[in-house]
Amino acid sequence: MSSPSTTAEVTGADTVGRWPLLLLLASGLVWLVLSGVLALIASIQLHSPAFLADCESLTHGRVTSLAETTFIYGWAANTGLGVALWVLGRLGGAPLRALNWAVVGTLFWNAGISLGLVGIATGDATSFALLEMPRYVQPLLVAAYVAIGVSGILAWSGRRTDGTFASQWYAVAALFLFPWLLIAAQTMLLWSPVRGVLQAVVNGWYVQGAFSLWLAPLALAGVYYVVPKATGRTLPSYEFASLSFWTLLFVGSLTGGRHLIGGPVPAWIPTLANAACTMLLFHYAVVALNLRGAFSGGSTALRFISFGLVAYLLGAVLDAVTAFRGVALVTQFTSFATAQQQLALYGGISMFLFGSLYFAVPRLTGRAWASAALLRGHLALASFGVVLLVVTLAAAGWTQGQDLNHAATSFADIAAHTRPWLLGVTAAQGILLLGNLLLLVNFAISVSSVCCSAPAENSFRQPSTMEAHAS
Amino acid sequence: MMKNGFLFFIGLLAAFVFGWGGIALASHLQLGALAPYYDDGEASTFPARPPGLAARGQLVYADLGCASCHTQQVRRPDFGSDKDRGWGERQSVARDYIHQVRPQLGESRTGPDLANLAGRKAPYDGAELTQFLYTGIVPGARVLSHPPYKFLFDDRKIVGEVSAHALALPAGLAPAAGRQIVAGERARTLVAYLQSLNTPYEFPEARPATPAAAAKEGAPK
Repeated sequence: MSSPSTTAEVTGADTVGRWPLLLLLASGLVWLVLSGVLALIASIQLHSPAFLADCESLTHGRVTSLAETTFIYGWAANTGLGVALWVLGRLGGAPLRALNWAVVGTLFWNAGISLGLVGIATGDATSFALLEMPRYVQPLLVAAYVAIGVSGILAWSGRRTDGTFASQWYAVAALFLFPWLLIAAQTMLLWSPVRGVLQAVVNGWYVQGAFSLWLAPLALAGVYYVVPKATGRTLPSYEFASLSFWTLLFVGSLTGGRHLIGGPVPAWIPTLANAACTMLLFHYAVVALNLRGAFSGGSTALRFISFGLVAYLLGAVLDAVTAFRGVALVTQFTSFATAQQQLALYGGISMFLFGSLYFAVPRLTGRAWASAALLRGHLALASFGVVLLVVTLAAAGWTQGQDLNHAATSFADIAAHTRPWLLGVTAAQGILLLGNLLLLVNFAISVSSVCCSAPAENSFRQPSTMEAHAS
Repeated sequence: MMKNGFLFFIGLLAAFVFGWGGIALASHLQLGALAPYYDDGEASTFPARPPGLAARGQLVYADLGCASCHTQQVRRPDFGSDKDRGWGERQSVARDYIHQVRPQLGESRTGPDLANLAGRKAPYDGAELTQFLYTGIVPGARVLSHPPYKFLFDDRKIVGEVSAHALALPAGLAPAAGRQIVAGERARTLVAYLQSLNTPYEFPEARPATPAAAAKEGAPK
């Protein structure tokens, strides 16, 4: 890939893009903390059904939707876009253009989410997974996303370099494909809904598409850039990267039907999903080969990324295994499915984004992170929190699934059997929330030091001074 | 392909269309025109259209997010315990849902499946369901098993006669003297919806293909 250690650590692309990109990253972090609060409430309600039951805006269904929406469209989208634009600007070899569009887009994107959340809380939710925001905000979201994406697409089409890199492919794919995906899902589910169970099929396709065509590419765009930069080495087995990229894009969304096993849909849909899950393992294997340098460790960014890599791979294997009927017989309709989702979204995508964020912010602000202690605290809490969350959810789900298949076990008994694990889920959500608060505080101090003190004398630093080491 | 900008975008679009066409469009072509089943013997079509009150109740069910804990899809008798739990004698099929504006298949069974709630052997009547929404306690039980959704009800002073929609609550939960708990409109439409959940008709495609029957059909005459 590129030759990282010789180039200046803070480039022209960084100073031009500093505030627009920091705005995206800051928005993401605020939503992350809010989604943590909501997820904590939802997890308490699972073992104590009376908790906030009288609060109409926070029924378990609504608070789950709110937490999911803030996590995906607030945290992952804002941060992922910030990272993707930053990568495209740097690899394009020229300062980012059309950043005023990106700023306006960011403001409207976040206004749209806020309005959408109010809509969900007041009873306008659409009841489609990952598409819960009411239809009156949906066109706004498309327009705002396109406005943000313009800057990245311009950086790609006007690039001054000869070759292209994997992180650019992933970033451009995410910027370009998500509007199509969102428009297609809105049309088939909200504006001119398909009939009956087809809604569930299209919804499943959208949820998987949002992961395979949008969130995973956004996250991979960042790590495919950061890993070679931070290790100072080119990526091994890089010649397979493009095949892996196209495998994810072509096969990924076909796995959407794996939640419909045994459901009232044509049997070919879950069967196709099962086959596609196995084919998709090729993509994951190549990602693992390419990014294995992250395990050489050192900087905080690489610690987060190597954690994310393990979770990303494990998530894929679990998806492939639970797409078989015999396994789905136990795991389907239980919190085991939630565990898989959290493993992919929190363990995989979010840890990748944390890694890229820890690498990018010092280069945008021109100075190192304000507090190494807060950073170490976040790494410890986030890693432990994700492991605890996924393990407790999976254990609760497995218990629940076995009990459900035993017809004599009543729902009161199932609740009693899963309760210890569900208490663990609440603890995990609390730990994650605390960790993310540390990150938000660290980010706020680091960024405010840029406005409140004179700019750094020499912004051309050695890479080593930019990295806060975790140990 | 990676260097040529135009071809790259064509490739991206092709990937999107491949997934969309393979799942969304293909299933729509297969099932989009699924019609109700006309039964000559009963001179009637199935499934029946839900009454208007129930259709409104489905919107309440959807916007409260009930589907985050309840599925509405019965699996075939040999796959899981759905039949043994009394959730339905047969599996749910696509035709069951064609009249529903917003089918609530659900993905989680924190609570029981509701696809056939009104058709079960020992269903709760409307009054019991309404009371259950308020108290969160199954009739006859003591512990909380569902969030008590009191916001669907009004705590009102009794003026003149007691309202027809007032709850008859047991001693511990009854309101203060001179007051009544009245089911609001949303509680009433929600209960009407829950009571409309019934899949009594056995469509040809819902009959289980049992090995015994298959062997019989395939047997040489």
